[in-house]
Amino acid sequence: MTSISTQLLASLKDNGADFFASVPCKLLGDMIDLLGADNSIGYVPVAREEEGLGVCAGAYLGGKTPVMVMQNTGLGTIVTSLYSLGIFYNLPITMIVSHRGSPGEPIGTQVPMGRASKPLMDLMGIPTFNFSDGAEVAKVGRLVRHAQVAQRPVVALLDFDFWGKG
Amino acid sequence: MTYRRYELLQDVAPVLDGKVLVICNIGFPSQEMYAINDTPNNFYMLGSMGLSSSIGLGLAATTDKKVVSIDGDGSVLMNLGTLSTIGNYAPANYILFLVDNGAYGSTGDQPTHTSGSTDLAAIARATGVKSVIEVNGTEAVGALETCLTTEGPHVIVAKCEPGSPKLTPIPMDPGAIRDRFKAAVQA
Repeated sequence: MTSISTQLLASLKDNGADFFASVPCKLLGDMIDLLGADNSIGYVPVAREEEGLGVCAGAYLGGKTPVMVMQNTGLGTIVTSLYSLGIFYNLPITMIVSHRGSPGEPIGTQVPMGRASKPLMDLMGIPTFNFSDGAEVAKVGRLVRHAQVAQRPVVALLDFDFWGKG
Repeated sequence: MTYRRYELLQDVAPVLDGKVLVICNIGFPSQEMYAINDTPNNFYMLGSMGLSSSIGLGLAATTDKKVVSIDGDGSVLMNLGTLSTIGNYAPANYILFLVDNGAYGSTGDQPTHTSGSTDLAAIARATGVKSVIEVNGTEAVGALETCLTTEGPHVIVAKCEPGSPKLTPIPMDPGAIRDRFKAAVQA
């Protein structure tokens, strides 16, 4: 059977995504391997999430359809730039975010930010959708188009259960 | 004569004009570039301090045109990881133009660490950037001309004095800046 990461990348590309930036997470290991091996897309691994948002913004200005792949802990460090770049300039950047702290999380320190992630994005006015079932992978891919319609960053929060690691 | 970022940008603007896509750093650098020579090839950052280098890198990865990110010492110190990303992933058409005046100009010229012991050119070299050129501000035009005619990526560290003229905020809204620049990239 095709892995969930393979399905997710295919779905994102089917919906137009052609440029990716990433910061690692244990849940994103397969996804990041796939990104690095895919010559049909632009891909820049970055050192920090905020930097990735900037790289995605530049790729959008260059005519690409960008996706930021990251862990939800980075939602805490990216807030100001999401406001003053992503929202202020109405940039359609799809954010594929692994949801640490969701059920299945083995590390207690991940739970507080896990709980805060969706409320924080809701407060910011960032359309945010939580997925806990890998069978919904096609819906995640459609968020690339939703970002274009919403004309702002959108977030997919992908639980341990989504990755089959609950 | 005092040679500040404003005088430096006055000198380099004709070299950039019409040939290069330029990401203009938040605050005074954007205001100064707007006042010196507003063109559709300029993208003005109105926020997101630290991300000029990153926006330019993402753009350079999507176009064959030359891309210059005008950045500052205070800004790049906020996003030092960007230099390691540039060292590993920046394409040949990318130039990071670091105006190093040793001060946080837009907030009142408080000193940055480059006015102390920090050496941005040495940091850039240590991240793996092959072409790092450190110049005094008056030599920046020549350095930029060289970098625009050779394979990069390049990092230029242009030293100058702190201080800024009194200018007004850019009267363009972010959507207008975005759309005009997007069109210029494709032109």
